[in-house]
Amino acid sequence: MTVNQTPADGDEPLPSPDAALALIRDQQRSVERNQLGGIPWVLVMWGIAWGVGFLALWSGYDGGNPWFQLPRAVAGAIFGAIFLAASIVSVIVISRLGRGVRVASGFGGTVFGISSSASFVAVYLIGVALARAGADGALISLYLPAGFGMTTGLLFLMGAALWRSVSQVVLGAIIMVTAVVAPFFGAPTNNVVMAVLGGGSFLIAAVAMQLGLKRGR
Amino acid sequence: MIELDPVIHAAARLRISATLASLDDGDRITFPRLQELLDMTAGNLSTHLRKLEDAEYVSVTKAHQGRTPVTFVTLTRRGRRAFEDYTDALRALLAGEK
Repeated sequence: MTVNQTPADGDEPLPSPDAALALIRDQQRSVERNQLGGIPWVLVMWGIAWGVGFLALWSGYDGGNPWFQLPRAVAGAIFGAIFLAASIVSVIVISRLGRGVRVASGFGGTVFGISSSASFVAVYLIGVALARAGADGALISLYLPAGFGMTTGLLFLMGAALWRSVSQVVLGAIIMVTAVVAPFFGAPTNNVVMAVLGGGSFLIAAVAMQLGLKRGR
Repeated sequence: MIELDPVIHAAARLRISATLASLDDGDRITFPRLQELLDMTAGNLSTHLRKLEDAEYVSVTKAHQGRTPVTFVTLTRRGRRAFEDYTDALRALLAGEK
């Protein structure tokens, strides 16, 4: 008895070198879109967090927002809640990026992940030490956004080096410049600089990345 | 005369190779995730993976995550080299046509 064997789908040779190269390009773009599609949304989330969070803080200080004021506790709660939400969304989206893939060497990613959390805790602890040493609220309100901003910028630069991403170099550099420039405006105006320049760059980066993924870079 | 590797020069196997080549060297991907990225049926993917495996271009390994069996697929060093040679050959052919 003989069995008729039909060729599997996609077994036919490609018609031309052009068609083969186009197929490779389209498939690799599709993989990239599938794997990185969530990142622009993470950037949007952080853009909103920086924009709304720092404007809330600005509205919580005397001499801040001239249009309306928030009680300091409410401003702090809004800032904390929105940053916590952005962190949770980031962790969920980023943990899904590499789903189904087991990397041969996870050393770089592990060092990046642990040092990210550790450096934010370190910035906070230095703030506690400064407060214990007599730094007043105005000084701490200059230090903490600058410290966290600087760390965020450095992390983007580290990520850029690890994953060879030029757009991350640009975003990291802007965030670092924002963090360094903001304290020169004094408190509470430093919060407006963080909101507009920092939050704005996250939103611009999100749009640029979304367009890049659509076009296939 | 430039010859194209017949193992890779078929639409389905080229898409599989291109997907696996976009991962870092040595990274392994689960069969279901690869299937999702390629939008192929499990049977069709298995058939083409077997042809790539016969040529030693991919390595298919089985492991356990807890009690669940998981099949991992990776491009071998030989497979990565074959894919690069194949794309070089395509470019050389196109350059020759101009």
